[in-house]
Amino acid sequence: MFNFLNEVKENIKIPKELGFESFNMINISGRLLYVEGHLGLVTLSKELISFKVKKGVVMVEGVDMILAELNENTIKICGTIKKVEQL
Amino acid sequence: MNVKNQTEFCIHTLNQEKLLNELSKTFTLFEINRLSKNETTFKCSYFEYKKIEKVLKTKEIEIKYIKHQGMASKISKIATSFGLIGAIVVFSVFYFLQSQFVWQYDVQGVDKLPAVEVVSFLKENFSNRKSEINTKNVEVALVDNFEEISFVSCMLKGQTLVVNIKEKLLPDEIYGDFKPIKSHKSGKITKIELISGTVKVKVGDIVRAGDVLVEPYTIDTSGVIKKVEAKAKIWADVYNEGSVDHYENFIEINRTGRVCEQNEITLFGLTIYSFKDEINFKMYETEYEDVDLIKNIFLPFKMHKTKIYELEEKVVQTKFEDVKEEYIEKAKTKALEKCENCDTIIEEFYTLRHLSGVTIVNYCIITQEEIGVYDVG
Repeated sequence: MFNFLNEVKENIKIPKELGFESFNMINISGRLLYVEGHLGLVTLSKELISFKVKKGVVMVEGVDMILAELNENTIKICGTIKKVEQL
Repeated sequence: MNVKNQTEFCIHTLNQEKLLNELSKTFTLFEINRLSKNETTFKCSYFEYKKIEKVLKTKEIEIKYIKHQGMASKISKIATSFGLIGAIVVFSVFYFLQSQFVWQYDVQGVDKLPAVEVVSFLKENFSNRKSEINTKNVEVALVDNFEEISFVSCMLKGQTLVVNIKEKLLPDEIYGDFKPIKSHKSGKITKIELISGTVKVKVGDIVRAGDVLVEPYTIDTSGVIKKVEAKAKIWADVYNEGSVDHYENFIEINRTGRVCEQNEITLFGLTIYSFKDEINFKMYETEYEDVDLIKNIFLPFKMHKTKIYELEEKVVQTKFEDVKEEYIEKAKTKALEKCENCDTIIEEFYTLRHLSGVTIVNYCIITQEEIGVYDVG
């Protein structure tokens, strides 16, 4: 199946050992955050949503955030996204 | 309108993140909204909600509510509504059963042959079960039993047996009404227009009401009587008479104005009180009236009122000459009442007959009208 992010990675030709297989994330206009490759939700609130990734935790801070979609591999966060930080 | 088939859960539990992680491994969750520390709503596909509900119940998580959206839930609700399903089943069975029978007969193309006769023939000779009706047999039976039918075709349309008939062109005499034309008024025949039949009167004859004018047959040159429908137009001068009697002396009875009353109060037909005036009148007439005193069914008190009016006799004497015009007008009015259908008035006159103390005024209006009618009796 066609995956835009995989296409981008193949196009750049970055070696796999650099850890590019961990997760992918797209922030669209600060209103929607799309994440592929999460490993589970850690925190869920309107102001803070955090989830585990392969080598750490990603924290998303914002206002009136909801999880628009959640499944085994992907997360879609809707709301006003102020900050995305990987710990 | 939301057309997505989704189900919304509202759950009340601690450590919701763990629960959501477990659910998201198997199901896709949408619009996860944390309302408070312990309360969260989320949506899932309607087709997965039973599985999620089962998981939540297994984990003993309190579900506050479950809401469905979209057509699938509505269709599912209808599909599991046993009352509706029962009604549909009953209706289907009823519809299937009644569709096995012919409930209506539609006879088309008949003009002289009564459709009722055809329908009663079909009802008597054929079953109303559609499976037992062979339209070819019906057609043959109709042609065999009705000589008026030239061509017939039958077809079953729904619960209706449609019979299309083409009639034979038979002479009118077969359907003729062989009854004589009789006069419905007395008069003097003035004009005859014979169409068919044998006329029994001639111009100038005086006929009475009920006399036969035209017989329903003809006699040919060999003397054979042939039945035909009696048809003719016959006009006559009709004498319409009105009569009034005038008496020079007659007794007139009037009320004097004196009244007596006799009242009774009854309960269940038994008199419980009565009041009676003494009657001293030589001549009197009475009037009765029943009045309900109380309007209830338990104690139906009734008052039976009797009013007695005194009468007096008076001999009235009038000379005929004084009221002659009035009596002539009365007699004319009576004569006019007998003139029907705005008949043409030819002449009018009156006669007076004087007997001992009585004068009979006879007014006669002569009209010209058609007097021949078919005898429907």
